[in-house]
Amino acid sequence: MKSAPTLSRVFLEPAGNYLPGPLLELRKQKGTALVDMPLPTRKTENWKYSVRHLKLSDELAVALPSLGKEGTSLSMAGYRVVFRNGVMVPEASDFPDFNGIRIQRFCDLDDQDAAALAERLDNTLDSQTVQMARLNSARFEDGLFIQLDKEAVLDQPLFIIHEVTASSVGSAYPRIYVDAARHSQMTLVEEYMSSGSEPVMVNTVTEFFLAEGARITSVRLTLEGESVQHIGATGVRQATASRFESHCVGFGGPLRRHDLQVRLEGEGAECKLNGVVVTQGKQHYDNHTSIEHIAAHCDSEETYRNIAAGQSHAIFNGRIHIHQDAQKSNANMSNKNLLLSTGAEIDTKPELEIYADDVKCAHGATIGQLNKTSLFYLVSRGVGRREANTLLTIAFINELVEQIPVEAVREAVQLRLNDFFNQTFQEA
Amino acid sequence: MLNIKNLHASVGGEEILKGINLEIKAGEIHAIMGPNGSGKSTLSQVLAGSETFEVTEGEVTFNGENLLDLKTEERAREGVFLAFQYPVEIPGVSNLQFLRTAVNSMRGHRGEPEMNAAEFMKHAREVSMQVDLDPAFLKRGVNEGFSGGEKKRNEILQALLLQPKLAILDETDSGLDIDALHVVSDGVNALRAKDRAILMVTHYQRLLNHIVPDYVHVLADGKIVKSGGRELAYELEERGYGWLNVKDKEATAS
Repeated sequence: MKSAPTLSRVFLEPAGNYLPGPLLELRKQKGTALVDMPLPTRKTENWKYSVRHLKLSDELAVALPSLGKEGTSLSMAGYRVVFRNGVMVPEASDFPDFNGIRIQRFCDLDDQDAAALAERLDNTLDSQTVQMARLNSARFEDGLFIQLDKEAVLDQPLFIIHEVTASSVGSAYPRIYVDAARHSQMTLVEEYMSSGSEPVMVNTVTEFFLAEGARITSVRLTLEGESVQHIGATGVRQATASRFESHCVGFGGPLRRHDLQVRLEGEGAECKLNGVVVTQGKQHYDNHTSIEHIAAHCDSEETYRNIAAGQSHAIFNGRIHIHQDAQKSNANMSNKNLLLSTGAEIDTKPELEIYADDVKCAHGATIGQLNKTSLFYLVSRGVGRREANTLLTIAFINELVEQIPVEAVREAVQLRLNDFFNQTFQEA
Repeated sequence: MLNIKNLHASVGGEEILKGINLEIKAGEIHAIMGPNGSGKSTLSQVLAGSETFEVTEGEVTFNGENLLDLKTEERAREGVFLAFQYPVEIPGVSNLQFLRTAVNSMRGHRGEPEMNAAEFMKHAREVSMQVDLDPAFLKRGVNEGFSGGEKKRNEILQALLLQPKLAILDETDSGLDIDALHVVSDGVNALRAKDRAILMVTHYQRLLNHIVPDYVHVLADGKIVKSGGRELAYELEERGYGWLNVKDKEATAS
């Protein structure tokens, strides 16, 4: 019998030794823990639909070079931090000049801060279910340590632009850690993009700690190109009366995987998770979300929409786990899916585990096509097929796109959607 | 303008229209009446280009062109308009955006420049006042959460914006209270023109008190069984359909 495939050891050879000692030590430990880690197979429940899209050749293990500012094409105003191939580029970044927020790159931390950070990293995600994202902890070369002081309210969104240059084969491992003190607030936008067409992998982890009353809005936009495999995980832990709002918008690629795990640990905490996925051609996108209702009186509201065209494949797996003590939990999950062609595939699975008896929990999942009656109504007014299809498809996700609280992101989404419509709907 | 010869249409193998003959000239208003299930709505939908029905026999010409060869959107651009019996709710598509897209598609087809957003907004507001629809409705989703009467007024609003050559009104009076009926009929009367024809499909005679037809036809079991002037409508009102030896399918079923 053939033994299960394991992670090639070449993936456990980190590059870049610019990190302070405690983080190098952490990275080494995490790497050791992954030696001979079994890779997911078709029988691995949380990867069963995506494993056929995962292509881990040894060449991919090579760390992509850190290139500095050269070739970055950003002229965006506002607070921004640019990462290239997993390493921060200070020259292309524009840090907030704002009391109450500290933003440090991992490479710049002194040993004391680094030791404190090393203690805190990797405490938000369930390592059993984000097996592939664990690689990030063994390989990160840099990262961003963001600390919001008590009651600090950042006046503008902070953009983190993750650029990857696919001009050679390899991988990058950006890492973000956000610590929001009591009653602090910020909006963080993470944009993933790429240039070049060689096979690369981006393996990224972002962690949020929300203290009592903190409010974080996280916007995540995945726009990488057709040669990029993207494996990402976001872990969130929430204390009493904190609020976490997430807007994930993703366009497909050869492999797109995002695990979003939220732990509601303090009473009255709430989270709102919105997600939009659009795939076409032979693209793939796999969202796995998990909400742990651990404390009582917490609310979660989750709304994901997938649109799949061509022969593409979109997956949504939404888990809600209501622990025994989480009485008066209120959880709503909705996943609606739109198939734009007969060759496209969408798999959706709500998973509810409820151990408390006094909770409100609702979930719904649908998969459908564009409504023929609506289409007839629009074209009967002279609207062309292509425009009618576009209007109806936009209508399917518009409500969620409109809720993204950052105009620049809404515009970027609209632009990318236009490409999608141009490629997907031909004038009949 | 419209010439229907021996039109047969079916849905799921069941024949609904069994040989319709009808000629409508520019400037005329025709009313088609008939019991439930006689094929009135099917005729409207077939003319507008619904793919639900299959035309099995016959021909339809519209201003000399073979209408059945045209796609739904092409028919609309040539000037065919159907006011739906049940206007469709489309949440997420704004009424204004939909109407502007439609109007500009028509204008593009006629080689006219597109209306910009501001121009269109002004025009659409005026027309919506004309049908007594609060311009706030323009910003809502298409028919989303509209009452029955508001939906019907939105249909007339569209007819007024699109200025069709042939307006087909499918049970536009159903579900309207008396005030709304006045508003809707005023809208339809505003559409009356020498170069435009109107085909009204209705179960009841009451709309015809407000919009006076030139011709009335009785459709029963997929065929026109009697045609006449406006007096035929009064006769139907008084005597029902029984004297024509036709049955109300729904009435018999229930």
